[in-house]
Amino acid sequence: MSTASQEFLRKAAEKSADLVHRGIVRWNIDQYDTGVGRGKTRFADWEAARQRCHDIKWEGVNHLDKYLLQFEQKVKENGGHVFWAENGEEACRYICDVAARGGVKKVVKSKSMVSEEIHLATALEKIGVEVVETDLGEFIVQLRNEPPYHIVTPAMHLNRQQVSKLFHEKLGSAETQDPPELVAIARRWLRKDFFSAEMGISGANFIVADAGMVTITTNEGNGRLSTSVPRIHVALTGIEKVIPRLQDLATLWPTLATAGTGQPITCYNTLMGGARRAGEVDGPEEFHVVLVDNGRSELLADIEQREVLHCIRCGACINACPVFRNIGGHAYGVTYPGPIGSVLEPRLLGLKEYQHLSFASSLCGACTDVCPVHIELHHHLLQNRRSAIHSGTHPGSERLGMKFFRWMMSSAPRFRFFGWLGRLALRVVQALGLEGTALDPTRPWTKDRAMPAIPRQSFREMWREHNGSR
Amino acid sequence: MAAADNPSRERILARIRAAVQTIGPHHDGPVGQIFAPVTNPLERFQKECVANITECTVTADAAASTAAIAQVLASLPPGEIFVHDAPDLRALAGAFKDGRAVRWSSEGPPNEASQATITLCEALVAQTGSVLVSSANGGRQATIVAPAHIVFARVSQLVPDLEAAMARIYERGIASKNSYVCLITGSSRTADIEKILIMGAHGPRRLIVVLQTA
Repeated sequence: MSTASQEFLRKAAEKSADLVHRGIVRWNIDQYDTGVGRGKTRFADWEAARQRCHDIKWEGVNHLDKYLLQFEQKVKENGGHVFWAENGEEACRYICDVAARGGVKKVVKSKSMVSEEIHLATALEKIGVEVVETDLGEFIVQLRNEPPYHIVTPAMHLNRQQVSKLFHEKLGSAETQDPPELVAIARRWLRKDFFSAEMGISGANFIVADAGMVTITTNEGNGRLSTSVPRIHVALTGIEKVIPRLQDLATLWPTLATAGTGQPITCYNTLMGGARRAGEVDGPEEFHVVLVDNGRSELLADIEQREVLHCIRCGACINACPVFRNIGGHAYGVTYPGPIGSVLEPRLLGLKEYQHLSFASSLCGACTDVCPVHIELHHHLLQNRRSAIHSGTHPGSERLGMKFFRWMMSSAPRFRFFGWLGRLALRVVQALGLEGTALDPTRPWTKDRAMPAIPRQSFREMWREHNGSR
Repeated sequence: MAAADNPSRERILARIRAAVQTIGPHHDGPVGQIFAPVTNPLERFQKECVANITECTVTADAAASTAAIAQVLASLPPGEIFVHDAPDLRALAGAFKDGRAVRWSSEGPPNEASQATITLCEALVAQTGSVLVSSANGGRQATIVAPAHIVFARVSQLVPDLEAAMARIYERGIASKNSYVCLITGSSRTADIEKILIMGAHGPRRLIVVLQTA
C-alpha cells in the first residue's frame, strides 16, 4: 500500500468520525443543492444546455492544436506573450523569471487551481516574492497554511467562529460573529495589497480561440482588481481550457454558474486579451499567458479518457459525492478532490501511488448525473481501476482471491454451497465468542459497524418456503 | 517569444497533433432550446435587476437622468467621484455639482478612495439583468474600484439575451478594439463563509443603472 494511500485511509477515518466537520459540510452542500435546484428552473431545458456545453468542449479538445494556435496568434498580435510549459517546474520558472525581470516584490493572486497543482506560490516565495491570495476563501485557507478544501468553495470546512478566531490571531481584528464584518475585515486588509502589488496572477475559466482572450469568472471582484491594477498580469491555465468561439460563452457562462453555485450567472465574467492599449485609461503593461500541459496531452492521447479534459471545474461532482460529504476535501491529499480528482489525479500523479482514489468510490454515478459537460466520471473511475490491476501493482493474493470469487459466483450450486458455509462459519465464530478478536474474519468490517444477526436461511430458502417451489 | 526560448511549445504541439489524429467519442443528446426567448426586454431587465440586487431607475430624459444620478450621489459619504469622460456624461454633469471633487477618466484611472464611479456601458442584457462594459468605458478600474458604480445607459442599448450580447460584441468589434471586456451582473458579493450571501466583497457594494428611454 502506498504512503499516500495509508495517509488517505487515516485522514478519511478521522474526518468521517468528526461530527462538527460533517455538520458544516452538510450545511454548505444543502445550501448549494437548494440553489442549484432553483437555478435550473431558469433554463428552458437544462439537458440541452449540458449537451451544448459538451459539444463546445468536445470541439475544443478534439481540435486542441488548431484552437490553441489561433488563440496564441491573436494574443501575440495584441502584444501579449504566450508560454507553453510541459510541467509545473517550467511554468513556475517562467513566472519567476517574469517576476524577477519586473522587480516584483508582491503578487496578488485570484483563484487558480492550476497554481495549486504546480505549487506556484512556493516557487515565488522561494525567490523572495510575497504571494497574497485574494479570493476570500483562498485568503482564509492561506492564513491557515492549508490548501483549498474545495475547488469552488475553498473554506467550506470552516464556520464563522473559526474564521473570526483566525482573523483575530493573524490580522489582529476584533472577534465578531457577524459575517458581513468578517468580509469587511478581509476587504480592508486586501485593499492595500491590490494597490501595492506589481504582479497579478489569475487562472482562466476559458481560453477563447477566436477572440484571443482568456475569461475569468468571479463573484467578489478580486479577480478583476488583480488583473486591472498591478503592472504585470499573468494568466495561468491548462491547455484544455480552450473553446472555439466567444459565442460559446452565451451557454457556458450561465451553465458554469448554475452548476457551480446555483446562480443564474456569476457576478463578473471578464474577458482579457492583452496589456493596456494605446488610448486606454489603465491596465497592466505586460500580459502573459502560461499554457500548462503537465500530463494533459497524455490524457488527450487516451481516447477512452480524453473527455476528462472537458471538465470546466464547476465542482458539481464534488458536491454530489457521498464520499466527499463524509471525508471532506483535505483527506484526498491532492489538488482536485472529489470524483473529478479521483479520476484525474491518479493520471497526473501516477497510478502506482494514487490509484486508491479511484477505488474510494461506491460507483453510485451521482457525479456523472450532475456533470454539466457529460463526463462519464464513474466509468473513468472503473477504467482507472482496470489500469491499476493491469499494471500489476496489486498483490498476488488479491488476484487469487478475485479468481476464486469469480469461480464461486459463476455457478448456482457453488454460490449456494459457499453461502451456506459462510453462514455456518459466522455462527461458529459467534458460538465460540471470537467476535471482535483477531481470529474473527469479519473484524475489518465490524470494528466500525454493528453486525446484523446471521440469518438461519438463505434468501433462496426463504423464497422456496414462502412461495412454494417453482 | 522566439521558438528557441520555448522548446516545450513544439513538443507539446507534437503530442497534441499526434493525439487528435483520432477523434474522441461524442455524447449525443437533446439539442433543444436552452433558454426561453425574452419577449419584453425592458420588463425582463428590470425584473432581473431586482433579483440580482441592481438598483435600476428608468428615466424619460436627460433632466430626469441628471436628477436620478444626483439623488444617488446625495446618499453617498463625502469624497471624490470618478466619471468616464464621454459626451453623454459631460452632458449630465449638472448631477455632480454638489461640491464633490470630480475626476474624469481623461485625467487617469480612479483614485482608490473614490466614493463612486459613473460610466457608460457597451450594452445591457435583459435575460440576466447584466451590464456589459469594456475598457472603453473609463478603463478597467472604473467599473470595479469604488463602493458604488453608476451606469448611464439608453434603452436602445438593451439586448434580449446572452446570445445577442455576444453577437453585439462581434458586430461592434468590442473584443478586438479593447483589451478588457466584462459582463457585470449585480454588485460584488461572496458566499465563502457558511454560504451566507454578503454584498460588497472587493468591488462595488451598489450597482446603479440609470436607464434613459429617450
